[in-house]
Amino acid sequence: MSVKQVTLQVNGVAHEISVTPDALLLDVLRDQLGMQDVRYGCGEGVCGTCTVLLDGEAVSGCLVYAVQVEFREITTLAALLGEDEFLHPLQETLLRLGGTQCGFCTPGVILTACSLAQRVPRPTREEIRCELGGSLCRCTGYTKIIDAVESYLDDRALVSEETRS
Amino acid sequence: MSDAALAAMPGEEITVSEAPPPSIPGPPVADLPSRSPETSELQGTDTAAGAVAPMRVVGQPVAHHDFIEKVKGSILYAADWKLPGMLYGRVVRATVASAGIVSIHTDKARALRGVAAVLTAEDVPSNRLVEKATGGPGELLIATPILARDRVRYAGEPIALVAAETQQIADAAAELVQVDYEELPGVFDPEAALLPGAPLVHDAGNVLISWHIQRGDVQAALAAADVVVEGEYRTQHVEHAALETESGVGWIENDVVTLRVSTQIIEHATEIAEILKLPANKVRVMAAYMGGSFGSKEGMTVETYLALLVWKTRRPVRMVWSRQESILASTKGHPFIMRYRTGATNDGRIVAQDIDLIGDAGAYPHKSARVLFYGAALSCGPYLTPNVSVRSRAVFTNNVPTSAFRGFGARQVTLGYESQMDRLAETLAMDKVEVRRRNFLHKGDVIPTGETLDTAVAVGETLERALARLGEPSAPSAPSKRVGRGFACNMHPYGRTVWFRDSSSAWLSMQADGTLLIRCGVTDVGGGQAASLCQIASEILGVPLSRISVYIGDTALTPSAGGTFATRQLLMSGNAVMRAALQLRELVAPVAAEALGCPVAGVVFEDGRVTAAGAASAGASEEGISLGELVSMCEARSVDPTTLYVFHPEAERRGFDTEPGQLVSFPDYTYGTHAAEVEVDLETGEIEVLKYVSCHDVGRAINPLRVEGQMQGGAMQGLGYALMEEIILDEGKMASSLLANYLVPTSDDMPDVMVEIVESGEGKGPINARGIGEAVIGNAAPTIANAVADAIGLRPTQLPITPERVLALFDAADGTSASGSVSPVPGVRSAGTAADACAAG
Amino acid sequence: MKAMFESAVDRATPLPSAPGALEDAHARVVLDDWERRWYGEPRFSYELVRSYEEAVHALREHGEGAKALAGGQSLVPLMNLRVLRPSALIDLNGIAAMAPQLEGGRLSLSAMTRYSQVLFSELARCQTPLLTTAIAYVGNVRVRNRGTIGGALAHGQATSELAAVALALGGEILAYGPTGTRVIDAEEFFVGHLRTDLRPEEIVTGLRLEVAQSRQGSSFRELARRSGAEAIAGVAATVTLSPERDVIGGVRLGLIGVDERPVAGDRTVLSSLLGRIPTPAEIDEVASDVTARTAPVTDSQSSASYRRRLVRVLIRRALTEALQRAEERASAG
Repeated sequence: MSVKQVTLQVNGVAHEISVTPDALLLDVLRDQLGMQDVRYGCGEGVCGTCTVLLDGEAVSGCLVYAVQVEFREITTLAALLGEDEFLHPLQETLLRLGGTQCGFCTPGVILTACSLAQRVPRPTREEIRCELGGSLCRCTGYTKIIDAVESYLDDRALVSEETRS
Repeated sequence: MSDAALAAMPGEEITVSEAPPPSIPGPPVADLPSRSPETSELQGTDTAAGAVAPMRVVGQPVAHHDFIEKVKGSILYAADWKLPGMLYGRVVRATVASAGIVSIHTDKARALRGVAAVLTAEDVPSNRLVEKATGGPGELLIATPILARDRVRYAGEPIALVAAETQQIADAAAELVQVDYEELPGVFDPEAALLPGAPLVHDAGNVLISWHIQRGDVQAALAAADVVVEGEYRTQHVEHAALETESGVGWIENDVVTLRVSTQIIEHATEIAEILKLPANKVRVMAAYMGGSFGSKEGMTVETYLALLVWKTRRPVRMVWSRQESILASTKGHPFIMRYRTGATNDGRIVAQDIDLIGDAGAYPHKSARVLFYGAALSCGPYLTPNVSVRSRAVFTNNVPTSAFRGFGARQVTLGYESQMDRLAETLAMDKVEVRRRNFLHKGDVIPTGETLDTAVAVGETLERALARLGEPSAPSAPSKRVGRGFACNMHPYGRTVWFRDSSSAWLSMQADGTLLIRCGVTDVGGGQAASLCQIASEILGVPLSRISVYIGDTALTPSAGGTFATRQLLMSGNAVMRAALQLRELVAPVAAEALGCPVAGVVFEDGRVTAAGAASAGASEEGISLGELVSMCEARSVDPTTLYVFHPEAERRGFDTEPGQLVSFPDYTYGTHAAEVEVDLETGEIEVLKYVSCHDVGRAINPLRVEGQMQGGAMQGLGYALMEEIILDEGKMASSLLANYLVPTSDDMPDVMVEIVESGEGKGPINARGIGEAVIGNAAPTIANAVADAIGLRPTQLPITPERVLALFDAADGTSASGSVSPVPGVRSAGTAADACAAG
Repeated sequence: MKAMFESAVDRATPLPSAPGALEDAHARVVLDDWERRWYGEPRFSYELVRSYEEAVHALREHGEGAKALAGGQSLVPLMNLRVLRPSALIDLNGIAAMAPQLEGGRLSLSAMTRYSQVLFSELARCQTPLLTTAIAYVGNVRVRNRGTIGGALAHGQATSELAAVALALGGEILAYGPTGTRVIDAEEFFVGHLRTDLRPEEIVTGLRLEVAQSRQGSSFRELARRSGAEAIAGVAATVTLSPERDVIGGVRLGLIGVDERPVAGDRTVLSSLLGRIPTPAEIDEVASDVTARTAPVTDSQSSASYRRRLVRVLIRRALTEALQRAEERASAG
């Protein structure tokens, strides 16, 4: 069949759309669903710019066809924004600690860091470095990005401690 | 902002006497707002820090404006624009490096349904782009075609354009364009291109330009020198690899060709108009916030192709280069061949530098003439050099064209002069820090281009701080490894060469509710160019950052600020906004003074309100009035709370004499030192960077967070350039144009870049800041080269310093250390050959 | 990488039979491509399958232009670059991806098992630590989240870390095709540049690996010019001590970056290590001899001669470390 009706679950919202099988998830999210925070960087899966979460795991949007991920949970950066556009704590620390300059890599970086944070309660700085190794940034030199992720994790640990006590 | 803070601003004009120093950039006295007599130009020492009252916004690490949109992901880049009926564009590129074009067959492409246009050279009204002359010696004026007509000079050269209903159709059509070539001999190495009888890239010759800088008598000085150290150094083609590829959208609106593109320079609009043979008012260029650039978007990228397709089809067109296309065909950073002969006395003082630089310009001029000038002008580094001869040539080849890349020639020569300094120290068995100290420039010294330095030279302090921050030496992690330490100092210009009569303007308007609009033609590469302007205006006018909107880069609607390159924006647009804000303040302050019942000098602008200084003690109301109320009052008195300021630093009265290469070149320089510790695996050649420090004198940090960000980002890019990045060309064809094979550093490859900021308080930007964007990259390569040399006793002279090249150093040395003794590492046998280390297990 | 593309293209597009025909054939491919697109037809037909049987059936049906899609981390980039233009994609992701299991004393991985599943598997970490170590070098987190065991094996890249481990751990590749199930030894599996022993319409269904023995040590060493980049060369080594005496009873090497395909270290040369505990110099000599029997290539990342020097060092280091670990394990229990 040439055109398929698929339901894409993006950020908790179901989108019923028509796609051809050769439409990349990156292009469908961007062009069809208007999600401009999912961006093209290389088409090779190397740079991490097009990273989205698939059931919580980081994947390259340029290496997955939209038809492949029907009914899976797709998460883009927009999911992190709270009501009234309140920043997610990780967005807030990245902003405050200077972890974004040109901003092009930022959605991919944040999503990858979030995915790590879900999987591992308190990754070490080395583990953060390693996980972000597939997210290329040409502007920051990475240090402030990692500082921000660590700061977010520390705050989160503090909050959960407070909640428990 | 306090008057004491005002005192720290670049001061009034100083009359130029017969001899240098040149005047400090600044407006004629008459234009300056009245000030207390204490304000005058800053003298050498760091008086600014003590004299200035703490600033509320400037100097703070605030994160605001576009950065907020960036963490939200809501910022719109050039490709994030869609219009009804939009077409998709694709460039058809040459697959050979040197050939005549016999014929171009476009019929199959045109026949494809969904194709709206296929354009070739015939369709370009004025198919030529000529870089403005620099006035350099022997400069060839070469026209670069927009679309190649009968000759191809590099693989990737644009030959045709396609616009179609979808990107897939455009890509398919591009593949169907057939070009018949007649291959011609090409030349792919600049030294080969210099030989008599070499194939000519252009009929006029292979040497684009040959700069000369002479001072004193180099030959005599070298002959009389106690020691002469010779060295040859080679750097590679580098790719900017900004995460956002070249992109933009064009359309026609009200009969104006309108482009919204990722570009550093909107002023290209005039060139686009010329190419289309349109009057200049019929082309408008808007700059989107860029997803990085580093010089790749300084020349036109998608602009002319979009303009042609839009103008021809009368429909909107989007063009986004693929990553592989960007790597293949966008301009690259110059490879340099650098030959140095450094003469010195036995106590380590430099007496002469004889330098030859060759840069591979590729097939077309672009900015090569200027890059080789920068290389020449900075080739001696931050050292007093009484006798100098520099020859610097940009040479054509049939390789991909080279142009602006962060560091712009001054980056490459840092490897030259800092390797020479270490070599000099080794030759004289002197301490490497000491040999530099004995030669460092100071304020008031004359540099090779003949000008006198008129701001603080804090390079010595940056050296101290960088080395101190490196901490205790690490021990090697295995018997087959060696640890080494190295450092490199640099000086880097900021601001354009002064004879360009640079200027920038800004238009500030206060609105009825006290919010502020800044309109300025700056473009934003991601380094906070736009946000910094808000910070400066906020400091002076007391408008909270959230109540300032900044509109950038639009040839129709923003006053011209010149492009973002040459690390000029803070100096130029920062000054323009600062002065505009001061002027606006002076305009409205009398109205406020009247309302508050205080002298004009006592009016304080802070937090969106205007109050009288010391109001509480005078018994007057502390609250003052809001900016909105002030604007109403202004309107009632027919005072318009709006200013347009054109910042024109005083142009140098003397020209630049290109024969001896003498007289003023750049407005000022930024100085710095990087230091590193590396571990080298003697058997594999692998290099691990254990520690890295970057220290620069930034004059004053408008925003410390962003200054650190530039330093860390620049160092990382420099480390990539030093260790892993390389565009490999074989007979003009790229071995790979995949991002997978162009290795830029990841977070997993390098340690944190530690930063140390020196604030000497003397810079020519607003609030005595110095430009920082490019100064921060050049030190990395010599830092690593020097550290590796320290580790293994052999000196890398070619970039990138790959594991393979490290082993080649051992091969070349044939078991003997080339540069003298290697300091033994306690507990480990001294470095021998790789074979020795191998046997040690 | 370029060579990889060229040969990939060879296999995707039927070769023309007459001069001038290539151009037309190319144009036809492009036009067909476009024709389908214009009428809303995709560049390829797509079928999601839920079992290996379905997969094989679908591959058969769609004919020569069909390709199996597993993790997509190698295939889709080639398609994005338009180097590969399959007429049909058979999506294997409908097949269950099983976590690593123990089966008949071996570690069993299904073809659709993701790298990340292996990495996070406690069982794999205990039973095949060599595998867990090696997978950490594969690409980046996204490649590991999607990339599959079967996909990596079928792709047969000369620098595949998984292949090196399969060779070092006596890997058995399970394949299924029209003629039924087949078990292929890893040493027979990688036959040429991006070519495996898989027959047309045959797909990988699983991989079985020897688990770590009590008197065995392993080591994985690789050099890449940057984190996540393709290995310049790499070595997976296992050294097993004899049951009764503390001498080497078994040794295996899986080598990558040394040839156009992943290869096992030469058995004859390695056999010289049996029955003794070699000195460092003897290990180095063996490393040198094994290297001499490989054929590394020159490409944009490295010269053949550097690869040769590197591999010798990596083999020596891997053997040394594996032996050391074997000795430690033997003395511990």
